[in-house]
Amino acid sequence: MNNRLLAKSQLSPSNQLYSAINLGLKSTAWVLVAIIALAPLLGVVIGLWPAVELDWAAISRFLGYNGLAYSVASTLLLSLVAPLIALYIAFMVYSRYRFNRRWQSLEKRLAPLLSLPHLAVALGLVYLFSSGGMLWSVLWGFIGQTAPEWLGLPRKSMLTMILAISIKEVPFFLLIFSAIGRQLAIKQWLLQGRALGYSENASWWLIVFPVVLKQSRLAVLAAMAYTLSVLDISLLIGPNIPELYAVVLYNWQTGFTPDEQTFAFLGNLLLIAMLGVLIACIYIHERLVTKQLANHAVMANPLNITWLSGVFTAWLGFFSLLTLAILATFLLWSLGWNTHSTFNTANWSISLWQDEWFFMQGPLLNSLHIAFFSSLLGVGVTLLALELQRHNKRYFPDYLWLLAILLPQLSMVYGWQIVHTSSNASYHSSWIILSHVPFTFAYSYLVLRGPFQSLNRHYELVAASFGYSPWQRWWKVRFMLLRPALLSAIAIAFSVSIAQYIPTLMIGAGRVATITTEAVAIASGNEQSITAVYILVQAALPFIAFLVASILAQRTRGSVDAEHQ
Amino acid sequence: MLSINNCQIQIEGGLITLPNITLEKGELLVITGPSGMGKSTFLHWILGDSIRHANISGEIMLNDVPLSGVNIEQRRIGLLMQDVHLFPHLNVLDNICFALPHRLKDEQGSKLSRPQRKDTAMQMLSKINMGYVAEHYSHQLSGGERSRVGLVRALANQPQALLMDEPFAALDPDTSANVSQWAFSQLHERGVPSIMVSHDLNNIPSQAQHLDLANYFQQV
Repeated sequence: MNNRLLAKSQLSPSNQLYSAINLGLKSTAWVLVAIIALAPLLGVVIGLWPAVELDWAAISRFLGYNGLAYSVASTLLLSLVAPLIALYIAFMVYSRYRFNRRWQSLEKRLAPLLSLPHLAVALGLVYLFSSGGMLWSVLWGFIGQTAPEWLGLPRKSMLTMILAISIKEVPFFLLIFSAIGRQLAIKQWLLQGRALGYSENASWWLIVFPVVLKQSRLAVLAAMAYTLSVLDISLLIGPNIPELYAVVLYNWQTGFTPDEQTFAFLGNLLLIAMLGVLIACIYIHERLVTKQLANHAVMANPLNITWLSGVFTAWLGFFSLLTLAILATFLLWSLGWNTHSTFNTANWSISLWQDEWFFMQGPLLNSLHIAFFSSLLGVGVTLLALELQRHNKRYFPDYLWLLAILLPQLSMVYGWQIVHTSSNASYHSSWIILSHVPFTFAYSYLVLRGPFQSLNRHYELVAASFGYSPWQRWWKVRFMLLRPALLSAIAIAFSVSIAQYIPTLMIGAGRVATITTEAVAIASGNEQSITAVYILVQAALPFIAFLVASILAQRTRGSVDAEHQ
Repeated sequence: MLSINNCQIQIEGGLITLPNITLEKGELLVITGPSGMGKSTFLHWILGDSIRHANISGEIMLNDVPLSGVNIEQRRIGLLMQDVHLFPHLNVLDNICFALPHRLKDEQGSKLSRPQRKDTAMQMLSKINMGYVAEHYSHQLSGGERSRVGLVRALANQPQALLMDEPFAALDPDTSANVSQWAFSQLHERGVPSIMVSHDLNNIPSQAQHLDLANYFQQV
């Protein structure tokens, strides 16, 4: 008998009981973590299980659906182009900011900028730049004229969608680059590049970009999967005839006729196939670009075009200004501005806020309690997932934990909806909370993994040498040091939950109204002033969460936070 | 020829006033001194990099051209550090091609094509019997191989001078001795004036100049 077995056989009954409890707890924890992390995949798989009888006639009716090919093609184009534009802009911004003093202020402002909901950016662009939008009205108002129609951004079009998504995703990619950049010797590479005669801009593209591009695969996929199945902004600012594919699919999924049910199933298959196409495009794009840049590197091409990066020195100012302009526009609309008024003629009043407050309280309270519980649960399960992996001394690849943001939301929630309806479950908000947890979990994991893994284990070693038990060490050392990062993670998870539209609508069957579902419902109509009130409240909630988190983080002394791992 | 005149390094607690330095083609200057005395900072100043932890003044002349106000990429000064920082996304051959000057021409005076550039890089590798690593990536090389490739890459750029910051410190003693002797002979052959910061004076060629910064330090 070897020593280990000998030691095991000599355990006292109480120790055996302790080990059994420990093993039971650990297994339960793994099951819980696996359920949350794999729920998106489960949803997709269930959605792919044919719930209806299929025959060739149904398939050919599906394939012949009016405008389907155009809808699919335009959605693929949008999902490919908008995230890539954001990726390139983010890289140029990163290259301009990384090694100068403005980097600190950019890093500090990234999370709040990221928290501005997509819906606010999308509608904000329309309110500002469409014909009759605030910007043109103000500019042309000075000369007493009306802005020409052609100047305005179309209210519903591909261009508006591409603009909204590519502008909104830039802070997301900056956050990812910031994390990737910490692991790379960028400064030394640039120095080498310059010592070999390349300009700094050319060095960024020839040396840094290929490496960063490879490491950003998951982030690009997340942005593409989001764009592929985003419903709320597709409904409001996407093209109308034909609509973007997410809208078409959602209409089938919520339809009652047998044909619609069949189309919903086939449409879901098609959505997954579209995701496959996008994944292939990510690899093809990466291969083409790295090959092209390697060619330039071999030919020592000075890449003079890279002066273009210089334009993005002004990005932080531009984005901050745009955010402020969007918020100011909504505020003015909510206080009485309209397309026909000027500053002098508008009937300024807060009566709309007073009137709407009565209708808003219910959705607001729903939003708050759903976001509060789902963010705490999401962050809690993230800590559990990280801790279990640390115990196992092996971390699973990121994509397993980030499935909720890598798979199309419409497919996974469709599967959850099938389970939810077939189990005759109620439409209580607790189900909505559960449906938000996979998303709050994925984003918390994205934010917390770095600080958790890079926490110096010597702190706990020192605590152990003082006689602290593993639980005490975890609570008094690890948890305390992670507090600033945890606060950031909670704020991000909270914002993610506030902005959720598809799960809230589909699992709640429209019976649990939140600020976001109300905002989309009202924005679908013509009441621009009321929409402005709801969008402002929707944008304010994450902002308040970040403000509270940053105030609390300043009051805690921790060595590791989400921004400085 | 590289010359540095009237150079003063102001560090925390003191001032170093260097004697004038002149390095002819192929000559080597070894700089030693205690930690924190600004040895690496001095190299970065010559390179034209921005300096943070010291104030350095003086005139640098490379082949009789003053370098003040000239940025790094135009100085034609190479840099070899302890970690040679081969670019991880390019293989050894492409790393060397990256360093070959853009306007490199063949005997007929026309710009080198892509295969010609690759051939040139391959010849440089083959000359030192390292053709077998051409397709390898940085992580597939041993420490000694990486240092050799680093030097070949630096030389491929045809620098007018080379700066080395403890380039062989991470190698084991035997490899360090071999690689450094090989490196100095390469630099001498090609007539590149070089400055090297080092803690180890064992493997330095006898004709090299030596400057111990501690000898010129005055407390302020």
